[in-house]
Amino acid sequence: MSQNVLVELSDALADAAEKAGKATVLVNARRRMPASGIVYAPDLILTADHVVEREEGIKVILADGAEVSAQVAGRDAGSDLAVLKLERAAGAIAEVTKSPARLGQIALALGRPSAEGIEASLGTVSAIGGPIRTGRGGMLERYLRTDSISYPGFSGGPLVAADGTVLGLNTSGLANGAVVTVPADIAWQLADTLVQHGRIKHGYLGIRSQTVDIPEASQKALKREQATGLLIVGVENGSPADKGGLIVGDILVGVAGEPVLHHDELFTRLNGEVVGKSAPIDLIRGGQPQTLSVVIGEK
Amino acid sequence: MNFNGTFTQVIDEFVQRVMPSLVVVRGHRFGAGSGIVWDAAGLILTNNHVVGRRNPVVILQDNREYESRLLARDPNVDLALLSIDATNLTPLVPAPASPRVGEMVFAFGHPWGQRNTVTRGIVSALVTAQNRGGEKLPVVRSDVPLAPGNSGGPLVNAKGEVVGINAMIIGGDQSVSIASSVAIDFVRKAIRNGTAARKNEARVPSDVI
Repeated sequence: MSQNVLVELSDALADAAEKAGKATVLVNARRRMPASGIVYAPDLILTADHVVEREEGIKVILADGAEVSAQVAGRDAGSDLAVLKLERAAGAIAEVTKSPARLGQIALALGRPSAEGIEASLGTVSAIGGPIRTGRGGMLERYLRTDSISYPGFSGGPLVAADGTVLGLNTSGLANGAVVTVPADIAWQLADTLVQHGRIKHGYLGIRSQTVDIPEASQKALKREQATGLLIVGVENGSPADKGGLIVGDILVGVAGEPVLHHDELFTRLNGEVVGKSAPIDLIRGGQPQTLSVVIGEK
Repeated sequence: MNFNGTFTQVIDEFVQRVMPSLVVVRGHRFGAGSGIVWDAAGLILTNNHVVGRRNPVVILQDNREYESRLLARDPNVDLALLSIDATNLTPLVPAPASPRVGEMVFAFGHPWGQRNTVTRGIVSALVTAQNRGGEKLPVVRSDVPLAPGNSGGPLVNAKGEVVGINAMIIGGDQSVSIASSVAIDFVRKAIRNGTAARKNEARVPSDVI
């Protein structure tokens, strides 16, 4: 048959699998079958935390078949991400997508569960959601779901767009065994933190709160439309919130300049770089906006 | 851009081109499987496990039914070669090289007895499977949905070339096809070794005359 759109599409998919496959590795760090990983920097592999069951004797098999020893450079159970440092450079680095995933777009799930070669399955991005609390005590701002088949050992491998760029990292470890994809921008950002600090800092304020509607008058005073905030119903003695001057009855509406409407958002805002630093906390107290500086503690 | 129209049209032409080479292989005791017209002069390739113990009936796309002769069978590669007294058939061509992971593939067959079904997927992995004799056999794994009745049918690439003979279903979502290179070898041996083929044929009881 002559060249036609069907053949072109088929070739493009195979090209995408080949391109991303060069940066998809086998990660052998657990007793049962190996899992997959993504070459994130010349000597760094990004993979799923739950597939790293041991920290010694980790072996990575690269696309060219070479076996390289690796050590854990950083890991975070909450986001199910781990970064492994290789003994030597791996070669091809995964290219991250420049345009975020769109609902309905074609995507390939890739993995390298065996030394026999790359494996792939085809699907579409079927849902983009978040934030969700992960099954491992973390918070994921955004996640992708696809209808591609995740074969055994695909955790830690990439979800790949039709042009061979990486849309995210697939894992079955975040949602009770269901496969979700951590979007590449989030995964790469967390990976940067893991490389720098070895872990993700989870912040702590020391308040109990519940979501409440913000009266219109207070929204006007706040100078922004924000339907809900967090009414503080308890402040732990000696906690960062206590030291910063937060009291029961305050409505927390923002952290570090970003609005906070729900608990999940507070959870997200308290993670990462903000921990250990003084951050402005926006409140409504007695109907009037107020900003206090609180040094965010660490869990 | 008339992409949608073009794409649909191309798929339609593709299916029309491959379908004439798909046959039904009906054993005498078990349900029907699928088969591939391998040459214009009546060679039909199918799975060994589809054939059963007697010469199966082959049904062409135009519903002509033929009593087949079993020329060769090999349980180690799960392939069987049948011959029917028909000419001017439309054969499929095997792909000249092994497929690439990620490329689109289509299974033609009769899953659950549903005639002339086409299912789509991609090549998931190029691996080996151990056969009954303990030898390693190259197979094409795909995410193409297969069901009983697909056995013996072709897995074709976007050009309509045979990349595998559909054989097994693992855990519901992993389909395995015997690489067409294995099929080529099998047919070549069967034809070259005509004496052996006749011996094999003799082992199969003929129909009641």
